[in-house]
Amino acid sequence: MQVLRLEKKRLNHFLNVVKKGFELIAPVKSDLVRFSKIHHAEEIQLTKNSYFPVKEYFFRKEETLFQFEGTRITVPAYEAKKRVFFGIRRCDLNAIKNQDIVFIRDMGDPYYKAARENSYLLGYHCNTAPSPYCFCGSLDLVDFFDLMFFDKEDHFLVEVGSEKGKSLTEKYQEFFTDSQRLITRNEKTIPGVHRLENKDISRFYDHQDWKKGADICLSCGACTTLCPTCYCFEIHDEVKTADPVKGERKREWSSCQLQEFTRVAGDHIFRKEREDRFKHRIYHQLQYFKEKYGVQMCVGCGRCIEGCPTRIDFVRILNEMKNGKTENNG
Amino acid sequence: MKTDKNKKLKVGVYGITGCSGCQLSIIFNEEEILDLLSLIDLKAFPFIKELNIDEEFDCIILEGLVANKGDLEILRKLRRNSKMLVSLGACACTGCVPAYRHFTLKENYEHLLYKKQEELQDVEPSPHDEHVKVDYYIPGCPPDKKEILRFIKGSVRGVLPRPHQNPVCIECRRNGNACLLDEGKPCLGPITTGGCNAVCINGGFECWGCRGPTKDMNLDLMIKMLRDRGFDDRFIQDRMRTFVGLKLPMLERVMQGPKSKVLQTRFDGEKKFYE
Repeated sequence: MQVLRLEKKRLNHFLNVVKKGFELIAPVKSDLVRFSKIHHAEEIQLTKNSYFPVKEYFFRKEETLFQFEGTRITVPAYEAKKRVFFGIRRCDLNAIKNQDIVFIRDMGDPYYKAARENSYLLGYHCNTAPSPYCFCGSLDLVDFFDLMFFDKEDHFLVEVGSEKGKSLTEKYQEFFTDSQRLITRNEKTIPGVHRLENKDISRFYDHQDWKKGADICLSCGACTTLCPTCYCFEIHDEVKTADPVKGERKREWSSCQLQEFTRVAGDHIFRKEREDRFKHRIYHQLQYFKEKYGVQMCVGCGRCIEGCPTRIDFVRILNEMKNGKTENNG
Repeated sequence: MKTDKNKKLKVGVYGITGCSGCQLSIIFNEEEILDLLSLIDLKAFPFIKELNIDEEFDCIILEGLVANKGDLEILRKLRRNSKMLVSLGACACTGCVPAYRHFTLKENYEHLLYKKQEELQDVEPSPHDEHVKVDYYIPGCPPDKKEILRFIKGSVRGVLPRPHQNPVCIECRRNGNACLLDEGKPCLGPITTGGCNAVCINGGFECWGCRGPTKDMNLDLMIKMLRDRGFDDRFIQDRMRTFVGLKLPMLERVMQGPKSKVLQTRFDGEKKFYE
C-alpha cells in the first residue's frame, strides 16, 4: 500500500484542519486516558494507550432500538455523524475488525453499521508496548485501518489502508508528501515483555489452575467493560409513565461475568460458579470465537488485566498451565 | 392506560422510623409525578397529603425501620390491609444506620438517647422482613427515584421489574469512572448491588454499600483487598456494617477465616490509612 510522509510539526495543524470537517475523536488524558471529542489538537496524548476502549462510539453503552406503542414500532434514525478517530492502536483496530464481524457481517446491526460507515480510522503504531500488560505480539493481528501513522523521530510515515483513507489523504493532500518507501514487516511488530505462550487452550478445560483466577475474581465485570472486543448486551423496556403502553426498547452493555447474565426463565442460571464464568470469558476470547469466525477475538491489549481490581493475569495463568506447573509459585 | 378509578391500583405510602428521605425520593420525580398520580389511586401519603383514607390497599410502600412498639403495630396493620408490601429504602430493607446499634455496646450510645426513652418503648432496630412478609424491595439510601417509578409502572401493568443483582462496578465502569480501589480507597462497589447508577463514585466518593450485598459477592476477596490497601479489621468491619450489618451475619466468620488472608492479589497503589 502507498506510504506517505507527514512532518511531525505539522501533525497538529493537520488534525486541526480535519476537525473543521469532521468530529475528531482521540485519546485525551484526564484522570485516565480516554477517547474524547477533541477541541484543540494539542490536547491529544499518544504516550499511553487509552484506558477505556474506543468501542463505545460504535457499540454504544446504551442504545434505543425502537419506540413502541402497543404493537406498533418506530425505529429511530441512525446516527450519521461523520467522525475521524485518531490515535487508535493496532490492537484496538483489530478489535474493531472483530466487532465488525459480529455486528455487520453476522448480525447486520443497523445501529452499529451506521456509526462505522461514517467513521474514519486513523491508527497510531506503537513503537514499544505502551503497557506492561499488553501482549499483542502473541496474537495474529492484521493490518486494519484507513490510515496508519508510524512514529519516526521527526516525521510520521502514513500507510494508506483503504479507499476511505486514500480519499482523506487526497482531501488534505497539502500535508502529505510521498515517502518513496514501504513499511517493512519488522516495523509492524511491537516489542513487548508479556507473551501468551499458549493460544490453543482446548485441552485445559478441566485444569485446576483456573481456580487461581476465579478465587481472586470479584465478578465486577471490569474486564468485559474495558475489553475492546466484548460485545455482550442485555435488552429491556422502558415505558412512559403517562401511558405505559408506549415506551422504548433499549440495549445496554452487559457482562458474561455476572450471574444475572445467564439467568433464564424458571430462574435457572447456566454459569452459577465464578470459575465457569471466568473460564467462559477466556474460552470465548481464544477458542469459541475462532471456531465460529476463524480468528481469535482477543487482541492482546491487556486492559482486562490492567483494569482488574485484583490484576487477574489470565496470560500468566495460561502460560503456567502449559509449563505443567500447578502450584502457586508467586 | 386509561382505566376507571375503581380499577386503579390503590396505593398507600407511609413511613415509620426514618428520615423521610425515601418518601422524598418519590416526589423528586417532579417531571412525572402528575402522570404518576393519574396512573394510580393514591389513597394515602400522609407526608404530602391532607386527606388519607385508611382502608384496603393493593400496594403499600413503606419507608423506615421498626425501632419502637408503635412502628411494629403500624407495620403489622399495613401488612394486614394490603395485598402487597414494599420496603422502601435502606432502613426498610436492611436496617441501615439505625441497626448499627446491634454492633456496638450499650454504653457507647446510652448517653446520647433522649431522656424520655421509656415512653418510646424501643425495640431492637430491625428491617421489615424480620417481622412480616415483604413482597418487593427498593433498596438504597436514598433509593433511586427512577427505580421507584419503574416499580410503580410495573405493578400497574402487573409485571414487576427484575430486582438488580449486578454489582455497582458494572454501572461505574460503564460511566467511565476510574476505579477507586486502584486509588487505595475502601470502595465496596464490587460486593454491593447496583441500580444506583454508581452515583457516589461518579462524584468521586467511594461506595459504602447502602444497597446491600450481592448474592454473588466474593466477601473473602473484598476483605483481603481492603487489608492489602492498609485498612485494619476494625475499619473494614465498621464500614461494611454501616448500612447492611444485619445482612452480613457471616462477616466476622469470614474475617477470621483463612481465605481472606491468603488470596494472592496485586495492588500497585499507595496504601492509605483512614481514620
